[in-house]
Amino acid sequence: MAVVGILTAGGDCPGLNAVIRAATARVVAGGGTMVGFRDGWAGAMEDHVIPLDRDAVRGILGRGGTILGTSRTDPYVHGQGLASLTPTLRKHEVDVLVVVGGDGTLRSAARLADEGLSVVGVPKTIDNDIPGTDVTFGFHTAVQIATDAIDRLTTTAEAHNRVMLVEVMGRSQGWIALYSGLASGADVILIPELPMPLEEAAGIITRRHAAGHNYSIVVVAEGISPPDAHELPKDAFGFDRLGGVAYDVAPVLERLTGFETRVTVLGHLQRGGTPTAFDRVLATRLGTAAADAALAGTRGIMVAVRGTTIDTVPLTEAGGPIRGVDPALYEVARTFFG
Amino acid sequence: MRIGVLTGGGDVPGLNPCIKAVVERVADHGHDVMGIRRGWAGVLGVNPDDPSTVAEHLLPLDRTRVRTVDRTGGTFLHTSRTNPSKVRRDNVPAFLADRAVGEGPFDFTDHALRVIESQGLDVLIAIGGDDTLSYAMRLHDEGVPVIAIPKTMDNDVHGTDYCIGFSTAVSRGIEFIHSLRTSTGSHERIAVVELFGRYSGETSLITAYLAGVDRAVISEVSFDINHLAELLMTDKARNPSNYAMMTISEGAVVEGGEMALSGSADAYGHRKLGGIGVEVGEALKRITGQGIIHQSVAYLMRSGSPDSLDLMVAINYASMAADLAMEGASGRMVALRGGTYTNVPISVTKEGVKRVDVGELYDVEQLRPKVRHVNGKPMFLY
Repeated sequence: MAVVGILTAGGDCPGLNAVIRAATARVVAGGGTMVGFRDGWAGAMEDHVIPLDRDAVRGILGRGGTILGTSRTDPYVHGQGLASLTPTLRKHEVDVLVVVGGDGTLRSAARLADEGLSVVGVPKTIDNDIPGTDVTFGFHTAVQIATDAIDRLTTTAEAHNRVMLVEVMGRSQGWIALYSGLASGADVILIPELPMPLEEAAGIITRRHAAGHNYSIVVVAEGISPPDAHELPKDAFGFDRLGGVAYDVAPVLERLTGFETRVTVLGHLQRGGTPTAFDRVLATRLGTAAADAALAGTRGIMVAVRGTTIDTVPLTEAGGPIRGVDPALYEVARTFFG
Repeated sequence: MRIGVLTGGGDVPGLNPCIKAVVERVADHGHDVMGIRRGWAGVLGVNPDDPSTVAEHLLPLDRTRVRTVDRTGGTFLHTSRTNPSKVRRDNVPAFLADRAVGEGPFDFTDHALRVIESQGLDVLIAIGGDDTLSYAMRLHDEGVPVIAIPKTMDNDVHGTDYCIGFSTAVSRGIEFIHSLRTSTGSHERIAVVELFGRYSGETSLITAYLAGVDRAVISEVSFDINHLAELLMTDKARNPSNYAMMTISEGAVVEGGEMALSGSADAYGHRKLGGIGVEVGEALKRITGQGIIHQSVAYLMRSGSPDSLDLMVAINYASMAADLAMEGASGRMVALRGGTYTNVPISVTKEGVKRVDVGELYDVEQLRPKVRHVNGKPMFLY
């Protein structure tokens, strides 16, 4: 029977363990054998392999992080592509590799598929911006954490009559900012796709305070352009290393509004902790679908959410242009600004 | 009898239940409570000759008004760091502008006394930290009956073992540290969790103690960065999940370095702290070559609703303070001493500085909490 390998790569994301658990259980139920690679691609390049069976994945459904570990090691950046993986894959007689990762990871997976590797992708990101799927697991949890934090920070903003900037993740897109801002009734939401001049944001805040509501919550997506454009450091995939733009925005808003302004950067708190029920279910559905595809001999695809169903799409779709928020939804949020 | 109540300084969860409990206790005895908005700024901002300023800054409080306020953090009266004896030029109310001659800061205590008298406030209950209470002491010295309730998430008011807000701050810290574990473990990194606490290391120490964090750097003890890096690498190697986690006070001092200070001083001469966690994270990365997760818990430590201990202390402090106010006492601060509720002169707050008892609770070699004796200690260990 088939030997299926699985790895998780890139930033960790609530629901990864649910995917590992679901894929393992399904492969085992289908008569296959499952092995896990430690620390993303690094495990497949350096032969760090652990056997996975039903018992190995018990009790992990609700746990954040990934029992396999993850890394930003990339087979093309840090190795010679498929050639770097072949010894490990041969040794463990792996027939097909389930790769759980973001767009960078899936792009590498697609290149490996071109080189002849049997790959099934599972899109993963809290940022919800991978093309080819309508939603990714982890996003709902990140939004929930951000919403809880914003709700809680409102009392301290109000007590001090302050403007509180809450910076959330999302890389180049504003999904988390828009959803958590909508969910918490934010007074302003700043996202990269639909940039709002800070003068306009300051105007909204000033009018709100003048009307007697003299505190404001501004949700800031980490990917917005800083008021003074500067070069950002890069990570192994060539992405900008983000975080902290709210510290650049705060003094500008403070100057424009005259109101005391404070910053909270939610940072890694958004990807830690336990996945929401929604993400556990979604991750479980994607994990089982990936296992089914692997056992059925389907190759070069990724499992994806289309509407309310799980589908498979060509792996190359993940490499397409990043999926931004729906401008119409931003307009909905705008209704509640100020 | 009319009792004024106000909250000053940084907000903490527990202020609202405290105000509510004052109102209920006072109402039980048929007296009135007047809420003063935005701390001492509310007193400063009242112009007795202008009823609109009275309505803006004073809020009559009864049972109905406070019925639901205890369920949330923050303070519905709002707060400020204004000190009427040291008013910066930009905080001078328009109607007092002609009295602000020169550079400032200006002492408007005579105005405060006039407001308190004109509004018929027989006694004030001030809920705040060192700074807010120092002005309470000033008013007491001027002959105004004042009772103080200590609050600060840093737990650094001298004269009491406990200040409202500390327990919730620690609870939030623990909660977020555990949330970060999965991420830190998945990436096999070292997490540097920076905690508010100003110049006191208590939040870092107690949070680390209760969350089982590997190392805790506290404001009171300067540390050697290479030694810290070595300890964390040992912790990481020993951890089956191959990660390490440390807390650090925002006021921590690197050996041979300076406290990370930035921003401008507020009315009380404080500076906005912060940034030490980033600096330590960068240094650890350089020394160890490991991936670092830096997370500042910051304002989230005082966000949300109060935990049960802060509800307990807030309500009990309020009842004691209301009783003292109604008995005609003045210049007293309600307090916990050796695990027992009591009251002390407010002046005690100026007689010393409350900091971590390093000899009793901390291991300066291992850079982590070390509780040497528990037997015979009060519930909160001090």
